[in-house]
Amino acid sequence: MTDASQNHGVDSAPGIGMTAKARMTNLVIDIVLFLFGILMVLPLILLVANAFKTPEEMVAWPPTIIPADPTIENFSSVLGDTPLLRWIWTSLRFAFMSMVAIVITSSIVGYVLAKFKFRTLEVIFILILATAIVPFEVYMIPLYFEAQALGILNSIWGLLLGYLVMSFGIFLIRQNVKHSIPDELLEAARIDGAGEMWIFARIVLPLLRGPLGALAVLAFFQAWTAFAWPIIVTTSRQSYTVEVGLALFQTGFTVDLGRLSAAAACVLIPSVTIFVILRRNFVQGIASTGVKE
Amino acid sequence: MANVEIRNVHKAYGSVETIKGVSIDAPDGEFVVLVGPSGCGKSTLLRMIAGLEEIDAGVISIGGRVINQVEPKHRDIAMVFQNYALYPHMTVAVNMAFSLRLARTPKAEIRQRVEEAARILGLSDYLERYPKQLSGGQRQRVAMGRAIVRNPQVYLFDEPLSNLDAKLRVQMRAELKAIHARLKTTTIYVTHDQIEAMTMANTIVVMRDGIVEQSGAPLDLYDHPSNTFVAGFIGSPAMNLMEAQSDGVDGAVKIAGENIVRHGVQGVAKGKVICGIRPEHLAVVEPSADGIDVVITNLEPTGSDTLVQAQLGGQLITAQLRERIAASPGDTIRLGSAAENVHLFDPSAQRRLGGSD
Repeated sequence: MTDASQNHGVDSAPGIGMTAKARMTNLVIDIVLFLFGILMVLPLILLVANAFKTPEEMVAWPPTIIPADPTIENFSSVLGDTPLLRWIWTSLRFAFMSMVAIVITSSIVGYVLAKFKFRTLEVIFILILATAIVPFEVYMIPLYFEAQALGILNSIWGLLLGYLVMSFGIFLIRQNVKHSIPDELLEAARIDGAGEMWIFARIVLPLLRGPLGALAVLAFFQAWTAFAWPIIVTTSRQSYTVEVGLALFQTGFTVDLGRLSAAAACVLIPSVTIFVILRRNFVQGIASTGVKE
Repeated sequence: MANVEIRNVHKAYGSVETIKGVSIDAPDGEFVVLVGPSGCGKSTLLRMIAGLEEIDAGVISIGGRVINQVEPKHRDIAMVFQNYALYPHMTVAVNMAFSLRLARTPKAEIRQRVEEAARILGLSDYLERYPKQLSGGQRQRVAMGRAIVRNPQVYLFDEPLSNLDAKLRVQMRAELKAIHARLKTTTIYVTHDQIEAMTMANTIVVMRDGIVEQSGAPLDLYDHPSNTFVAGFIGSPAMNLMEAQSDGVDGAVKIAGENIVRHGVQGVAKGKVICGIRPEHLAVVEPSADGIDVVITNLEPTGSDTLVQAQLGGQLITAQLRERIAASPGDTIRLGSAAENVHLFDPSAQRRLGGSD
């Protein structure tokens, strides 16, 4: 009571002062974030803008954001002279299949490692974690020989060889299962008469929607942006992925900036679309990792 | 409905034995409460009945059928967990219908049974909600509903009320009791709360360190605790257990010097005993009467009675007096008890002296 009357005495001036100060702080934060946002998105805008520029305008200084004389010459040339659409299609199939495989393997292995208690499983989990610290470059060449022996060079299966399992994915799902699915839930289902496959499909998977969505996005873009493995396992121009294809615009002496920009702009379309669709899952899944709800 | 028989059951985790030869009978339709301090093995035992833990040795049977090797889903039991274990992505109705769907019960029957259970539990308006949209008490009801719709032979409850606040717990206790009275299904209920045990059970089984200390009707345990552990565990506030000296002749023991308490126990030899008197059996007596002189350390008047904490020799004792007393901390009062309310225990074995129990 006394506190309230005292506050009343100074006519709530401090309250207004606080609000103004808080507003100022917010404004400053907004401005800083806005500037950073611009910085982040500027390269993308320039890339798309460059795709519509003539060669002269491309090298002009200062660079223009909106092309003065927009042209679709770069696009028609890229789409006409190179198998860009084919590369995109290959990349899409590769990324999609890799994503599906990783989501399936991670959810099954992560669930089993989190909820079934056998000593061997602990050893297996440690082994899986250990694989994460071995750089890809170390086993890249043996993997190539494996693909060669299997006769799957220059094919989607060859591309997929190193992209079916993701140790981080297994780890992510294991942690999520451990923290967000109590044992009692599974036990209740067992008493209620559910079999193990049923429990996995109808209880575990629906509860993992968030992290699996995040993992799907990660897995898709991991494959979509893969470069080293595709350039090793594909040798014919026809079987390239889009990342490898884009590198072709860069020769030893020149960079064909106009056509490279146009191709890159085309490549951006699926990435941006998928990210926008899955954005909420992505943020939720990563943000809630390890947090008990 | 069926009786549950547990015969000489053992369970060990590595070298740690958590259940050391437990035998319990839960007759058909009884409400049996397993009670004991945490780590006494009561939850493990319940999980063994449910089939969630393996049985190392011994036999558990439900309705005469040995179920040691039977999978949980074939034991015809329903279990309610402490954290409710509701499926978060399913509505109340789907949660309750879960087991019936798995059993391929016809849809019309599922609906009828879910609605019936919802009506009993007052959940009819919440059937389309998700668990996260419900309060703790409502979630607990859904968990019970999920058990009820199955119409199992045995209900198993694992501390179902311990996540609820005190008021709700009392309310749910009464509801559970009413539901049991209506369904008359054998129920095994685990709790660490002796009040829950006393108020709900037909039979209480007091456990400690993997063994059964005593089992029987609630008031039997209260009136004739078979050892000092049960004596101290059942009843709130806990029974006063005081070291005393028996002269072996006239049915009296001396506590901390010249304080004399009469007891009705036959054939107590001369020597040390433990004398147990419940706080509510102590009353202020005349200075000339038999009794114990205590120095008040704290008074807690609750309105209906007065809780007195006092010092006797080196130990603290508690008295729950019906009358309001005009005394304050530091004062000395004389407390006495009727001879039939005095329990005597053997100081070494901690077993009850005299009587058949």
